[in-house]
Amino acid sequence: MIPVKALSFVAGRALQGIVVMFGVSVIVFFALFLTGDPAAVMMPPSATRAEIDAFREAMGFNDPIWVQYGRFLGGVLQGELGISLRYRRPALDLLLERLPATALLACTALLWSSLLGLVLGIISAVRKNSAIDFVIRVISLLGQAVPVFWLALIMIIVFALKLRWMPSGGIGTAKQLVMPSLALGAYYLSAMTRLVRASLIEVLGENYIRTARAKGVSNWRVVVHHALRNALIPVVTVQGMYFAALLGGAVVTEIIFAWPGIGRLAVDSIQNQDFPVVQAVVLFAAFVFVVVNFLVDVAYLWLNPRIRL
Amino acid sequence: MPRFWNVSRNADVALAVLLLTAVALLSVLVPLSWPPDPLRGVLTATFQPPFSVVGEQVHPLGTDQLGRDLLARLALGTAISLGIVLVAEIISVVLGTTLGMIAGYFGGWVDVVIMRAVDVQLAIPFILLILLIVAVVGPGIGNLVVVLGVTGWAVFARVARAKTLEIRELEYIDAARAIGMSKFAIIRRHILPNIVGPQTVLLTLDLPRLIILEASIGFLGLGVQPPTPTLGNLIGEGRAFMLIANWLVLYPGIVIGALVIGCNLLGDWLVRRADSRAA
Repeated sequence: MIPVKALSFVAGRALQGIVVMFGVSVIVFFALFLTGDPAAVMMPPSATRAEIDAFREAMGFNDPIWVQYGRFLGGVLQGELGISLRYRRPALDLLLERLPATALLACTALLWSSLLGLVLGIISAVRKNSAIDFVIRVISLLGQAVPVFWLALIMIIVFALKLRWMPSGGIGTAKQLVMPSLALGAYYLSAMTRLVRASLIEVLGENYIRTARAKGVSNWRVVVHHALRNALIPVVTVQGMYFAALLGGAVVTEIIFAWPGIGRLAVDSIQNQDFPVVQAVVLFAAFVFVVVNFLVDVAYLWLNPRIRL
Repeated sequence: MPRFWNVSRNADVALAVLLLTAVALLSVLVPLSWPPDPLRGVLTATFQPPFSVVGEQVHPLGTDQLGRDLLARLALGTAISLGIVLVAEIISVVLGTTLGMIAGYFGGWVDVVIMRAVDVQLAIPFILLILLIVAVVGPGIGNLVVVLGVTGWAVFARVARAKTLEIRELEYIDAARAIGMSKFAIIRRHILPNIVGPQTVLLTLDLPRLIILEASIGFLGLGVQPPTPTLGNLIGEGRAFMLIANWLVLYPGIVIGALVIGCNLLGDWLVRRADSRAA
């Protein structure tokens, strides 16, 4: 049976997520009103006074603002995220069409970087202060230092323009997935390596590890069976934070590699002043973030029995 | 704690100081003393590679599509980006520390409201929110500073609150209360001084995030507009010419990397120093 405390913990976190999404909807809605006149912001600069007035009336911007927010929130709750001004189609449809591309890119990047980060972090921690540890630390320092877009451009210059090994952009073949996912995963790889290393070094200093060694357990068995499980707790808890960085990186990566995902949709929409689509993307990204963090909290509960009682 | 100098630790800080000093010199000395105009080019000297000489003028980092000297543009761009990032960071620290101390000291519903606002702030992908706001209010330097500053307060509020909760229970705060000091006077005179240290460390570690964020916005063409250079828009502009003039992309990225590595190493060192003091 699931203990009551665990259930109330999960329910509390779910409630917190709902409150956060409510706050996000307020910010996303009111961002449009920062200049005072959303109609003027959304219409092209060439629009006449009369056109702007007609548009304002049609969009309902003349209603009291709380009525407008109520309408917006009501729509969001029913899965209606507004209509694209440019494509005259529901923003949610546009978003869902682009979602698989972003999901493919993000998951590939996450997969290779977290697996490699785990391996490098373990090696680095076990061989602490050795030459290989030094090399791994330098690589992870560099990986966090360069912006995703710069790394992506350098990769294009070297591997696409100079060596002609890789296509410089587009989607469809496995080869076209290589460079975008490498560029996007680089930061995550560094973060993961540093986290695993720091956490594992701390755990390896604990008394129960010394006990295991004293019993004659082999070195790798100590690391894999005794230390790693506890070392991964802090690593899991910060995954949610890094997920936000991954989403941000996906925006520029998609622009550079002409990858037709939701990040590119967002930037295109901003440039076309198609604000309903931008609002939809921000809301959706925040929703994914909240869900991921909720899952991380639940995973934390499972990994750390001390808070389960 | 034995006071010996660990060679590798020293090397960390030395490298950090070296990198940050180099970038600071680039952004201050070069705009003051390097003759070529960063905004006006010589159209007979476009796409000159690094170290080329045109007439009397040496171009150590080459020139761009309008024959402008890249060293001059890079130095000015670094100065502008650093200015934006530093002012924005100060706004974030002041805002976050104030709200965090209020949440921690007063507790109750004030605390609940502020901390839920922190959660909301952290849930929205910064880059998308900032792009949305900049697209609405326009891409001026002032707007960018305010938007970056106002959206970065959440981490500072969290730390300030945690620290305040800890200090609030100490005896000297009881004493201050007993002699009739007002709540705001206690926060200002007795809590704030204890928070300055941790916030400085956090600021150093938060700077890389903001440097890369500002550069990303500039790269996407939604930040400060050309011809005014920033680290991001230099790369964004250079991208179109990277097949024939890769130095336009290469050098601004190296400056960003130097800044971020410098801040990260310095921040790590500050954390270690704070830890060893506490121990």
